[in-house]
Amino acid sequence: MKFSRIDKGDGTVLVIEGVLDALTAPEIRPTIDALVEEKRKSIVVDLSSLRLIDSSGVGVIVSLFKRCKAFGGVVRVMDVQNQPLAIFKLLRLDQVFGP
Amino acid sequence: MIRAILPGRLEYRDLAIRLVASACKLVPNSGDDFGNEVVSAFSEALNNVVIHGGASPEEEVEIEIDLGDDRLTLRLKDYGMSFDLRTVSPPDLDALPESGMGAFIIMSFMDHVSYEAGTPNTLSMTKVAGKGLQ
Repeated sequence: MKFSRIDKGDGTVLVIEGVLDALTAPEIRPTIDALVEEKRKSIVVDLSSLRLIDSSGVGVIVSLFKRCKAFGGVVRVMDVQNQPLAIFKLLRLDQVFGP
Repeated sequence: MIRAILPGRLEYRDLAIRLVASACKLVPNSGDDFGNEVVSAFSEALNNVVIHGGASPEEEVEIEIDLGDDRLTLRLKDYGMSFDLRTVSPPDLDALPESGMGAFIIMSFMDHVSYEAGTPNTLSMTKVAGKGLQ
C-alpha cells in the first residue's frame, strides 16, 4: 500500500493505493489519527487506485468518518472501483460516503 | 483441483489472494463481480484463520480450489482454534461498525458455506457463476 495526504486550507485529500487490509491498515492509522487531531474540516479519500480492501481496511475509513463527524468535519470517498466497490455496496458504505 | 500450502502468516495473504483471483477467471461465464466477491470472502476467511485462529505463525494453512463448469469451491484448512462463522450475528450496518464484518461478508458473497471443526478445521465455500448477490 502507498498513501499520501495533500493539504489545502482546511481540506485534505488522502490518496490510498494498492491494498488496504489487515496487514497494511496499521501503517495508515497514525495518519488517520493525525487528521482527526488536526480537526481537518473536509477530507476526500481518493480510492481510485485501491486494488483490494478487507474489513480491517474498511474499519480504518469508517473510523476516520465517524471521528471527523464528531467535531463537524466531512469525509467523502471518491472513485471506489472493482473489489473495493463490491465491499462498499454490500456494507452500504457507497450511500454513506457518496457525494 | 488446485492446492496450495502456505505459512499461516499475513505476509502470504496477497499471494493467496492472487491465486484465488486467478482461479476465478477460469470459471466459465464468471464476470468481474464473481471474482470480486469470491476474493472478498476468501480474504476475510483467511483473516479469521491467521489473525483470530490462534494458530502458531509457523503452522500452515491449506487452500483447495475446485473449478466446476459454473462454480468455484474453496476449502480453507487450518490447525488453529475452531470457529464456525455461521454462528456470528450479522452486524448492524446502520451503526457503521468498524469491525465484526468478516463473517457477514463471507456469508453474503458465497452461495454455500459449511464448516467442519477438527484437525484440520475445514471451511468450504462455493459460489455459482451468474447467480449474483442475493
